[in-house]
Amino acid sequence: MLPTLRALWQADGAFPSGSFAFSYGVEGAIALRQGMRPAEFAQLIAAIIRHRWAAYDRVALLRAFRARGDLGEIAAIDHEVEASTLVEALRSGSRRNGASFLASHARLGDELARALRDAVRGGECLGHIAVMQGAVWSAVGLDEKLAQLTSGYTVASALITAAIRLGAIGALQGQAVLRDCLPLIEQIAAEPAPDGAELESFVPFLDIASARHEQADLRLFAN
Amino acid sequence: MLDQTHSDQPAGRTGPAAARVGVGGPVGSGKTALIEALIPVLQRRGIDLAVVTNDLVTKEDAERLRRSGLIDPARVSAVEAGACPHTVIREDPTLNIAAGDDLEARFPGLELILFESGGDNLASTFSLDLVDWWIFVVDVAGGDDIPRKKGPGLLRCDLLVVNKVDLAPYVGVNLDRMIEEARQVRGGRPVIATNLRGGVGIEEVADAISAAVLFRV
Repeated sequence: MLPTLRALWQADGAFPSGSFAFSYGVEGAIALRQGMRPAEFAQLIAAIIRHRWAAYDRVALLRAFRARGDLGEIAAIDHEVEASTLVEALRSGSRRNGASFLASHARLGDELARALRDAVRGGECLGHIAVMQGAVWSAVGLDEKLAQLTSGYTVASALITAAIRLGAIGALQGQAVLRDCLPLIEQIAAEPAPDGAELESFVPFLDIASARHEQADLRLFAN
Repeated sequence: MLDQTHSDQPAGRTGPAAARVGVGGPVGSGKTALIEALIPVLQRRGIDLAVVTNDLVTKEDAERLRRSGLIDPARVSAVEAGACPHTVIREDPTLNIAAGDDLEARFPGLELILFESGGDNLASTFSLDLVDWWIFVVDVAGGDDIPRKKGPGLLRCDLLVVNKVDLAPYVGVNLDRMIEEARQVRGGRPVIATNLRGGVGIEEVADAISAAVLFRV
């Protein structure tokens, strides 16, 4: 039961990881499609889970998880994420989110998190959030399945929380969207992710929205 | 400089580290003005410092400091508050912690980092995971009943600054009574009256920071 409890600990929005400051494109998407209805928002979240999280964040997470603390291997995945994230705000946001996640675990005494934080400072690693989660969660005691479920849940929850804070959907509407995402996350987490899997992401609307958001004078979220 | 090699240092911080001081308070009370006024005073005292700002919807405060000519722009970091000025200094201060760690790594010998909160309300408080000591800034134009409202920010801060004292006659505030009530509700803990635009009280605030976290008196 302990791995499950640890997964809950990491998925809990109260765990400080800096994620609350990032919308990963949702603020830009809401600005582009003002008056988005809850059903349309639910479709957007499902698209992000299917077309970004499933074959990109999840794959990066699993590869880092399987590296079992090998800093060289983790750094290689980290650089691949950097090179394959088109929009600068998503790239830098992911690095900053990862730095905050590492700051928490390092202060909590996790040796691998400290080593990764030092590797980021030294320029060996870049600190992308999915990569850092995969690496640290392997050391924290989650198994691969739990790591995927935790990742999928935190991604969906953070996107929905951002939309609630932006006033695009109500708090309870957001919980309905989150509830309805859970089977999709479970289904994707059951799909195999071979060691050589490529990082693949295709949500062009969100990339365009993120790129526009990057230039916005007024914004509540970092990306 | 704080020697944080002793056993009660914040978890994960090792070796001598820069002292971290928070500056919080309501919108428009004078947080950025306080930092702008403090920078030259602290620099004259030979204190090696940097600033992290938490803007709510823009990078206005960070840009204002970077363009002020008072400090190397590289020593000013901006952290977006994700619509939650409370969260970024209390429930989840990790973005600010990481920004502070980054400044320490980039500027070896850094002695002091000032963290400016985004404009908030009287319930705003700093996590001691983030700062060693913190200031709360209110101003007389907000009304002389502010101390009586006993907000956690006003009660729990290490130093309360009551700013814009020069405006008291124009906004119908009995300044002496306001300061006295502030001292009462804070149980005698420090309260400094300032007029930041006029340079009143700055040296006292700098003295308080120096004594509290830099151990210079």
